[in-house]
Amino acid sequence: MIQKVASFNQVKKTYTSEVGKKKTIALQNVSFQVNNGEVLGIIGPNGAGKSTALKILLGFVRQDNGQVLLNNLPPSNPKSHHKTGYLPEQPCLYKHLSIYDHLKFAARMHSLPKAELENKILAILERVNLQDSIKMPIRRFSKGMTQRGALAFALINEPKILILDEPMSGLDPLGRQLVLDIIQEYKQNGTTILFCSHILTDVERICDRISIMHKGNLAATITPNELKNINAVKKNPLQSPLESFFFQTIQPEAQKP
Amino acid sequence: MRVIFDIAIFTFKEGLRHRILYGVIIFASLMICLSVLLSGMFMRDISKILLDICLSAVSLGGLLIPFFLAINLIAYDLESRTVYSILSLPVSRSRYILGKYFGLCLLIFLIMGVLTIATFLAIQGGVFLFSAYYFSSISVTSIIIAVAVAALGNMVLLGCVFFWSSVTTSSFLVTLLTLATYTIGQTIEEIVRFMAVQTPGVSFSPIFKKAIEVILYIFPNLSSFDLKQQAAHAQIISLQHTGLLFGYGLAYIGVMLGLTIFFFSRRDLS
Repeated sequence: MIQKVASFNQVKKTYTSEVGKKKTIALQNVSFQVNNGEVLGIIGPNGAGKSTALKILLGFVRQDNGQVLLNNLPPSNPKSHHKTGYLPEQPCLYKHLSIYDHLKFAARMHSLPKAELENKILAILERVNLQDSIKMPIRRFSKGMTQRGALAFALINEPKILILDEPMSGLDPLGRQLVLDIIQEYKQNGTTILFCSHILTDVERICDRISIMHKGNLAATITPNELKNINAVKKNPLQSPLESFFFQTIQPEAQKP
Repeated sequence: MRVIFDIAIFTFKEGLRHRILYGVIIFASLMICLSVLLSGMFMRDISKILLDICLSAVSLGGLLIPFFLAINLIAYDLESRTVYSILSLPVSRSRYILGKYFGLCLLIFLIMGVLTIATFLAIQGGVFLFSAYYFSSISVTSIIIAVAVAALGNMVLLGCVFFWSSVTTSSFLVTLLTLATYTIGQTIEEIVRFMAVQTPGVSFSPIFKKAIEVILYIFPNLSSFDLKQQAAHAQIISLQHTGLLFGYGLAYIGVMLGLTIFFFSRRDLS
């Protein structure tokens, strides 16, 4: 039986602006689930509702309607965050503290045993190639270093579910490859990964299932194998199958001959 | 408790690395050093002037934590979304608030503690320069009580910073509202006293009187935490008065933190 790690059931979210009380629909009755051990990629244009979905899943934002579960618990319950790692779109680290301070704090919050703490921190820093910047304050980090530091923060507890929001944004090709390698490594270890990205080729390479979000709706969900077999996808020599499917899903009119 | 303690230590560490903190310590220390020289100009009141300036420096040092560091650490935390890094861990929002609050309280204790030590050194400097005769009436207990009560007053204001941060989204607005709270808190007692005295030719409308009464109950009476004059005049501060102030201060902090947790738990961190 497939075990659900995270699920959205008819979730609706509307943001109301403080000035003018203008309403913007971020999610409209979105339902999907993330199964244990799979990599689910969510793609979509800006403002599609991808980040909102992740924020709701982590309890940063409350849904107006519907049910959200993370590790079978509502996200407002801190216990749902056990064995979960999160990398936000903009790495949110404290600029006056070092990456070592951050990781030590995160490890303590995850109740990691004291004896393992130092070795675990050093190992993870080596993995993200920050072993030479252990005591350096974050404000002196480059954008790529901060992104890798934030990834280390998400990985310190060896998460069973990894939630990544644009993990490759702002990274140079080397940094991007490093992050991709780490995601692949965790995938092979059986970690459930939910990630949002604009880079469709990365999503195509890594994900077991791909969901396309558009204007707050879940427009389509497909596996890479299904993608290869869909004849309906209009092949464009300049686009990958996913790119063709993506554009056809979000701009059906534009794709018509 | 462990989670709150760890967040408090994390916040304390973060605050310690802020340049604002060192600016505050240097400014207040200079003020204390200067007090030794300035007090020499008032030969009859050397100890009073010295203590007045030193205790003002101690209060000011502690006051700058809620005004600069707390707004910087809390409102910025929400504005720049660094709060995500803590709340993505198994940490509830109430523990986040309490941890942050106690971390900043530790910074208030540290800065006021350092400046109190500087005050005692300044007294020793005064004794060395002007003879012990002028300092014979100093009461160490009164000084310590005055500093402890001033620290409590700063903790009350810190509670207000947390409350304003939970209901607004801009650090600028939090600064303005905290400034308004501080000004009202420092002056409200004076206004109430002035209104109680029947001054010929001066009358107040019932609406104004009611508004003042409401403000008196809503905003903290921060001037009551100012015992500098009593300490400077070596007056004994009664245990009952101190206990009453602590009871009022702690109750106010409790209400502020309760409201902060209530609003913050319902807020979207988008």
